[in-house]
Amino acid sequence: MHKWMWVLALLASLAATRPLRAQGNYEIQVYGSATVEPKSTMVELHSNFTPDGQKYRIDGVYPTNHQQHETLEITQGLTSWSEVGFYVFTSWQNGHGVQWVGDHIRPRVRVPDSWHWPVGVSVSTEIGYQRAVYSPDTWTWEIRPIVDKYMGRWYVAVNPALERTWHGPDVKQGIGFAPAVKVSYDFNRVVSGGIEYYADYGRLGAFDSLHDQQQQLFVVTDLNVSPKWEINIGAGVGPTASTDHWIIKAILGRHFDWKKPSALD
Amino acid sequence: MMAASAALRTHAQEVPPDHTLDITPFELEVAAHRTIKTIAYNNQVPGPLLRFKEGQSVTIDVTNHTGGGEVVHWHGLFLPPEVDGATEEGTPLIAPGAHARYTFTPRPSGFRWYHTHTFAGKDLHKSQYTGQHGFLFIEPRENQARYDQEFFLALHDWEGQLEANPDGSMDPVYEVSTINGRVLGFGEPLRVKQGQRVLLQILNSSPTEVHWIAFAGHKFEVIALDGNPVPQPRVVPMLRLAPAERVSAVVEMNNPGVWVMGEVRKHIMAAGLGIVIEYAGSSGERQWIEPASLSWDYLSFTSSTAPSGQRPQAEPIPLVFESKFAGHGAMDHWTINGKSYPHTESPKLTAGRRYRLQFINRSTNNHPVHLHRHTFELRKLPGNPETQGIMKDVVLVDAKTQVEVEFVANDPGSTLFHCHQQNHMDAGFMMLFQYA
Repeated sequence: MHKWMWVLALLASLAATRPLRAQGNYEIQVYGSATVEPKSTMVELHSNFTPDGQKYRIDGVYPTNHQQHETLEITQGLTSWSEVGFYVFTSWQNGHGVQWVGDHIRPRVRVPDSWHWPVGVSVSTEIGYQRAVYSPDTWTWEIRPIVDKYMGRWYVAVNPALERTWHGPDVKQGIGFAPAVKVSYDFNRVVSGGIEYYADYGRLGAFDSLHDQQQQLFVVTDLNVSPKWEINIGAGVGPTASTDHWIIKAILGRHFDWKKPSALD
Repeated sequence: MMAASAALRTHAQEVPPDHTLDITPFELEVAAHRTIKTIAYNNQVPGPLLRFKEGQSVTIDVTNHTGGGEVVHWHGLFLPPEVDGATEEGTPLIAPGAHARYTFTPRPSGFRWYHTHTFAGKDLHKSQYTGQHGFLFIEPRENQARYDQEFFLALHDWEGQLEANPDGSMDPVYEVSTINGRVLGFGEPLRVKQGQRVLLQILNSSPTEVHWIAFAGHKFEVIALDGNPVPQPRVVPMLRLAPAERVSAVVEMNNPGVWVMGEVRKHIMAAGLGIVIEYAGSSGERQWIEPASLSWDYLSFTSSTAPSGQRPQAEPIPLVFESKFAGHGAMDHWTINGKSYPHTESPKLTAGRRYRLQFINRSTNNHPVHLHRHTFELRKLPGNPETQGIMKDVVLVDAKTQVEVEFVANDPGSTLFHCHQQNHMDAGFMMLFQYA
């Protein structure tokens, strides 16, 4: 059996269920194909605030309106083509205080440079738990292919992610399709600006109606102030009824290199 | 005078040439089971060693068997623009399938080289990214060199691809690095005998990379830079060669064994840049001794005595090097005094006058800059130390530093000045000097 047939068979076996949403508005980021170098660590803080979100408690899940999400992401480079990331999700909301939401782990591999592919290609898989008061689906899994390309001043990244619930009310809903796309333009060496699109169309092969789909469109800027720092700021709207209508996001990342600096390396 | 004795003709010649060069596609076996499709002179990398006698006219027939236009630059020679080998100066391009005859009188004596001088752009398998380079030695009328054996060695990098730099631009990085077209351990070692004085003529023909070379268990006595004798030969633990630079160094073979000479930086030696040197009667595993740090200083070779007589006043020509961002997915563009070639300034030189080029590098990249058809004297190095007597045709100007050189405008005609990094010269880092 060809490898791709095994993949199809695996996907078919998993297609019993899908989650409503895997990470929600805790980590709002379109992934690029590059991985963190070995012997180095990237620490990122994802800060997302929902000025206009779900105002009612539904099925025991806290409303998202005026929730402040702080997510700590720590990514350790393993080899020149692999990394593993850990997430700690938290939420702050008036009346609930600061709450731990859940944790994820995310191994990722990429096509090595030596393969000379015309585009960057990577695959990450993410498994994790989140508390039921923040997501009714408590155990979720995601596989995220990543394709990206720089073309002069333009950058395009596509993440056609597939999601699945392992524990929760949506466990029987199959695999969900949750693509994300980023298009940005380098105004100069430091400032880039662009659009990020996030969606959850629903079950693969039987998408939800537009009313029930989640779609978000962000205007973002990336500030390339230093190779050590990553800064991404954006404001997004959710035009469908099932999406939080108005979200502000920011990512602040710091790269730590544990290699002993040597001119001989 | 030179113009009368030099010519490039593009039709068949009746008189047989002294040398022929065929530019052909070539599969270079760099390692066991690893070949690189490239372009070479006479189906070999490096091309054939050409030895000319200083002041004695020579003809070279060049046939271009490739699908693109070609030109051969005779690097380090004082030649008229029509044969120097830069189309920007006026040397004609050799069309695909065409033939050209270069006739000139070579000077000055010393270790020079020849190479292609075409545009590569984003194609990292063209121009200097190929195997189109070879050694050129102009023999002086009186040869005073004292050595027992001589080796010509070319450092080169292959299979480049663009990768992002920390500063946000892209530069080539290479999979394979070689000495004389082979990776470390592939092919025959250099064979020497104890007690010999071996003269190493080392060329960095890399399209973009600076290389640091050490010889385990031995030291180098540097006697010439870019083919020109240095005022003070010095013994040094390692050599640094920027693209297009040459170093002539004598090594005393006084430590029998099987040794490695190669790149000091680990990842480049791992890519293959090294060669085995084997003493007669020695055997066993090759040995490499990792240096503790990088060291090289042009000042080591400066003259300790001031030149006799009054040095003529040199007219300063400031040249500011800066980059222009072209996107995180592109190589930077380059400017000299704010303009990119072909819009760069063309300063007018007066024959016989002395000029001081002030290289002010405001970029975060190092630049090996080259002046065609002339030799210049290093006069000021970073940190403001004055120097004299070191004659070169390429000098590495480190990022955010200033270097000053002087030359006498003694070879009328269009004179190209450029960064010898292929991707920099392709992206505008060139200018032409004209004679008034």
